This record gives sequence, C-alpha cells and structure tokens, in this order.
Amino acid sequence: MTNTAIADPQTSADGASVGAARSRTFARRARNGGISLLWALAGVGLVIVMWELVKALGNVIPLPLNTSDMTMPHVWTMFAAMGEPEVRGSENTVLDAVIAATFRSLLLAFGGFLIGVAVGLLLAVIMQRFLFAERGLLPFVIASQTVPLIALAPLIVGIGNQIEIGPIKWTTTYSVMFIAAYLAFFPLSVGALRGLQAPTPTSLELMRSYAATPNQTVRKLRFPSSIPYIVPALKVSAAASVVGTVVAEISTGVRGGIGRLLIEYARQITSQPAKVYVAVFGAIALGLVVAALVTALDVYLTRNLPKEKSA
Amino acid sequence: MSTATTEHAVHADGIWKIFNEGQPNEVTALQDVHLTVESGEFISLIGPSGCGKSTLLRVIADLTDATKGDMRVAGHTPHEAREQQLYGMAFQQAALFDWRTVRRNVELPLELQGWDKAKRKARALELLDMVQLADFAEHRPWELSGGMQQRVAIARSLAVDPTILLMDEPFGALDEMTRERMQNELLRIRKETGKSIVFVTHSIPEAVYLSDRVVVMSPRPGRITDIVDVPLGGDRDEDTREADAFFDAVTAVREALRGRVGGSDARAKVGEV
Repeated sequence: MTNTAIADPQTSADGASVGAARSRTFARRARNGGISLLWALAGVGLVIVMWELVKALGNVIPLPLNTSDMTMPHVWTMFAAMGEPEVRGSENTVLDAVIAATFRSLLLAFGGFLIGVAVGLLLAVIMQRFLFAERGLLPFVIASQTVPLIALAPLIVGIGNQIEIGPIKWTTTYSVMFIAAYLAFFPLSVGALRGLQAPTPTSLELMRSYAATPNQTVRKLRFPSSIPYIVPALKVSAAASVVGTVVAEISTGVRGGIGRLLIEYARQITSQPAKVYVAVFGAIALGLVVAALVTALDVYLTRNLPKEKSA
Repeated sequence: MSTATTEHAVHADGIWKIFNEGQPNEVTALQDVHLTVESGEFISLIGPSGCGKSTLLRVIADLTDATKGDMRVAGHTPHEAREQQLYGMAFQQAALFDWRTVRRNVELPLELQGWDKAKRKARALELLDMVQLADFAEHRPWELSGGMQQRVAIARSLAVDPTILLMDEPFGALDEMTRERMQNELLRIRKETGKSIVFVTHSIPEAVYLSDRVVVMSPRPGRITDIVDVPLGGDRDEDTREADAFFDAVTAVREALRGRVGGSDARAKVGEV
C-alpha cells in the first residue's frame, strides 16, 4: 500500500520491483511481528499458570517457599488491587498511581538516556579522532563504571544540591537523570568507538583519495559504518538508563517515580500484599516501553543495511 | 629538475620507497623507478607479489610518500593532484557504502567537493548510464553482483572527471567471464573518455589486452625490469584475444617476468614456431 511510495518516483520498472520487494519484506516483518506477539502473550499466560500451579501445589505438599496469599497473592487479587484506592478515601486507584509513577520514571529514564547517548557519542568521536584522548580517556570511562551506584548517588545529590545557576536550581530529579545518564553513556561510548574504527582500510583510503576532510570522513563514512555497533549499544544503554532511574529514585529518595513507589508499597506488604506486585508490573512496563522504543529506533537506523549486517 | 609537463599523466623520476628504513626489517619496496605515462595512455603494472606495483600506484595517488625521488601527476605533486582531484581511484574491493543507493555512491566524491544536489544527481545518472547500470540507480549496492558493484566503483572514480584513473587490481576478485566483460567495458569507457589509466594486475592476458605498454616489475628490491610495448592498436575486441599479435605480446610479457631480457627475441621465437 503505502510502501510503493518508498520507491523513488523517477525510477523505472526496477524501482517498482524494489518497491514490491520492500512491501513483501514489510508484509513478512508484520507477519513475523504478529507471531512474536502471540508467543509473548503465550509466555505471559504460561507464567500466570505456573504461578497459580505453584500456589495450588503449596496447599497440598510442603514446598521450600512460602506460597501463602501474604507472599504470593493470586493473580486475580493483583488485578483487583489495581482498582483499589491508593490510600483510604482517595479517588486515585493504585493503578492510577502506578501509571503516573511509571510515566514519570519513563521521562527521567528517557532524559538520562538522551544525555547519556549524547555524551557517549561525543566521547567516542573524540577518542576516535585523537589517539591521546583514547589512551587518556578510555581508562576513566571504564573506571567510571566500577564505582558502586549506591556510593555515587548521595555524592551526586550532595554536590548537585549546591548548584544554582541563576533561575536554574538543581533538584534531586536532575540527580536521578544524571545517574541514569551516567550508566547509559558507557555502553554507547565503547560501542560507538568500536564502530567508528570499523571502516575497512580501503574505504578510508577511498576517502583520502577524494581529499575528504577528517570531519567529512566521520560524517560520511565512520558514523554510518558504526550503526551496526551503535544499535546493540543503544539497547544496553536504554536498559541501563531504566535500571539507573529506578535505583537512583530509591537511593536518593526522590518521590513520584516507580522506584519510590516500589519501596512504599513493599512496606505495606503485610496489609496489602498484592499492591507491590502492581508496582512491579509498572516497572516491567517501563522496561518494555523503553525496549520497544529502542527496537523502533533499530528498525529505522538499519533500514538501508543488508539484514545480515544489522545484527 | 623534472622536465615533466602537464602532457605527462604520470612522471616518476628516481622514485624510492623504503619501509622501516635503518631497521633490521628494512624493505626496499621501490628502487629507483623511472616511468612516464603519456596523456591518454593505458599502462599496466604487472609482477609477482611484493614487486612494488601497488606501492608505486599508492605513491602516485598520495596514499603513501616516496622516500626519495620526484613524482609528478598531471604536472603536479601527488599531494596537489589528490587535493585537486586530478585522479580517480578504483580498488580490488568495490568499497561501496551499503547505506547509500548506487546513485548516491557515485555522488559521494561530488558531495565531498560541495556540488549541489541536482547537478551531482544528473552527473551520477550520466555515469551510471555509461557503465550500463542506469536501471539500478536506486538499488542498494548489496543487491548487485560483484561485477556490477565494480562497475559502480568505476563510475564513482570517474565522477569528478579526473584526467587519470588509478586502478589497483579492480577485477581481481571477479570470475573469468565477468572479468573479460569488464575489460571490454573498461576499453570502451577509456575510448569514450580519453582518460590516462594506470592499472595494476596479476594477470598477463589482462595486462596485454588492456594496455598500450606493460610495465614489468620484480621483487626484492621492487623495481621495473622491463617495459613491453603492446602493438595491438586502439580497436580491440574479443577477436583480439585470439590474434597472434596478442599471444606474441603475452609471451613477451611472460618472458620478461621470468627475467629474460629482450621481449623482442621472445616474440621472434614465437613467430618462427
């Protein structure tokens, strides 16, 4: 349908055949996508069945884990908990609160991801361009990831809170984003550096024979060549930014996000054991949304590459 | 010192290239190379691995520096020639960029020179027409066969309309049938464009079929041992490959590669038999 529009209007019969091939590819992808979705739903169903089976089994024979409703509420209890008021007398349901918190964490994770990607790419370009920068920076880049996040979070909050530039006042929210970015930049800078160094000697000599400037070589050759390396790095970075956000929310005590909500609901486990699972679903949804966004980015970035290369 | 004028496509005067000079692993890749390629001439460099034929091409292209000697490319230093895009280059690997369409691959050198979009598109289509790939302009390189990819690479090397083409075993990775077709294509393109061509190859028949002169090189140290004239004229076609004069020239090059002096002797001998 709309796929024929991809083909350049001025191309002849061959252009049309390319368009047809692409729409076939699209149809195949859509079908594969549908099958994948079915498998994913089957997987979720399997987990639910297993959960209830283990609970039922626990009532009959003693198992080495506590299957009581206190620790393993029924799946339907969890769904019911979604509709309950968040606090007594409140109009907001637990689900409302979880969705709002998930959305807020998503924004923070996304912000951290963007900053991390920008910093990671910049570092990679600098390290590729100047050997001394690679020698000097790479050890620090690697060392940065060996510092435990738990140690880092209070430090960032402490230093950050003293920052005040005119009307802009650093808040703990920025600290959360910073920590997410701190985790996200690393896989990207290392992956992009490898990608920027990936072009074959022949391609580089070709650019030299064209008297291309170093900037042109980066833009026209090195950067496009690095896409197959950047895409998997983006996936790792995105996951890191989600984990970073949730952990940072917990360790900095910032309110409103899913990390904080998880802690709050976990404390209420004795009175409302199903509630914390709703927050867990929120955290899972957060991860899935980010994964879906990155997959969409993957499809977009590798649309022009042969499929075996866009691993 | 050099008397080279712009009439000479390439003028090499006492070129030396020594790798790792003064170290135990010192290698003399080129020893005192003198060579003049006339404007419009087709020259092949042939010889076993390590004879310095690719190194010589790379010195011409300013991809590496000569240790000693004076090199002129269309009357300029190799550096100037490269900066002014006086030569186009094709390698054994087509080195097309997967993320660009065939047309935009041909446009690449023009893009780097800052041509505007409409002009470079028109130029690329014109060149793709010349290499008979106009129908594949909007395809991706990886959808094309090896021979087609190499034709795109040749079109790309002609994009800026350089006076000289430098080709480093461009057909080395192709099968024999494709290779012979590509040779005919190259001769046709040469006739249409009048380019001077320096062509590096391992294949004796290829060198003879394409060239006006075959430069025979020898390793350790890399040097020119003989230059064989190929008196086959300007109009060559499939019949040429079966002509006596072709076989005579092939024999002459082969003898020269074996290190026997005097290609003309060999030719005379073949004539007697």
